[in-house]
Amino acid sequence: MSIDPFLVWLESSALSEWVVGSDSLLAFPGILALHAIGMAFAAGLAAVLDLRILGVAPGVPLAAFRRFMPVLWTGFWLNAASGVLLLVGYPTKALTNPVFYLKLLLIGVAMVLLVRIARLIEHGDMAAPAVARTLRRLAIASLVCWSGAITAGRLLAYTYTRLRA
Amino acid sequence: MIASAQVWLVSAIERHSPVADLMRTAWAWPIAESLHFLGLCLLVGAIGSFDLRLLGVARSVPIAAVHRLIPWGLLGFAINVASGLMFVLTEPDQYIYNPSFHLKVLFLGIAGVNASLFYVTSFQQAFGRSPSLDAPRRAKVIALVSLCAWMTVIVCGRMITFYRPGPCVGDRGLILTCDPD
Repeated sequence: MSIDPFLVWLESSALSEWVVGSDSLLAFPGILALHAIGMAFAAGLAAVLDLRILGVAPGVPLAAFRRFMPVLWTGFWLNAASGVLLLVGYPTKALTNPVFYLKLLLIGVAMVLLVRIARLIEHGDMAAPAVARTLRRLAIASLVCWSGAITAGRLLAYTYTRLRA
Repeated sequence: MIASAQVWLVSAIERHSPVADLMRTAWAWPIAESLHFLGLCLLVGAIGSFDLRLLGVARSVPIAAVHRLIPWGLLGFAINVASGLMFVLTEPDQYIYNPSFHLKVLFLGIAGVNASLFYVTSFQQAFGRSPSLDAPRRAKVIALVSLCAWMTVIVCGRMITFYRPGPCVGDRGLILTCDPD
């Protein structure tokens, strides 16, 4: 079954036409800019937490990262929202490109890792070598996922095969 | 004056660009862009965390301890200067005549001067013999300016593609925002 009728319907919606067609800087350019800012705070703060687990800035207690999490989550939700708008703007471009699904998968895994890391910091026995080892593994996996997600996102502009339905 | 310097710079880069051939190979440009995005995350993650600490987030943590993240922010900045130069040295006219790029460079300068101000004015309170846990008010202002400046740099960078300079017609102004060739 083809998803083309759905893509055609979405692309003819008023929201899609505004995102793509409006001359306003708040439309496509503004949404892209917000997507970059949200990325900087979500991926950037997650990377800093990962680096701290791996031994950077040892004077910062891991528990203190709880205070930075609301900023990270704000970046994440900003990007979920701006990402949906970009998807409504160009649904065919994204949904017919396997790299887009890879990007979503990597972000999904990165967020699961983040939640596991946060839980372990909150409830785990930090003195136990096994917990420390698990945390380090999660941190490395998280860095790999975020790097992959960002690279995949950037490559979307070069790997799509259909722009519109 | 500025306009002729822009023209000179574009033609000088076009004549002797050391990276243009490399950047025009199949995947070089997208790879450099990906590095530019990774670098910006590292920069904002590290420098943004420090700014947030100065503003009062995670106040119980010594400022000097969070400051240990700054070298990682500088690493992100270095990655972005290197990857950013690759773009400018390959398509100089697309950047040097681009008003969004001009603003980006302006805000990079503001972020740089602002960061130096922190070390000039607030070093003692943050790293001195008896460092206070709450940053002085001027350090908080500097942190806020830093966050705003870096976000503006990102927005201007993202907007570059929407302000590609067209051919010059009529009045050119003090700074060229069109391609005179």
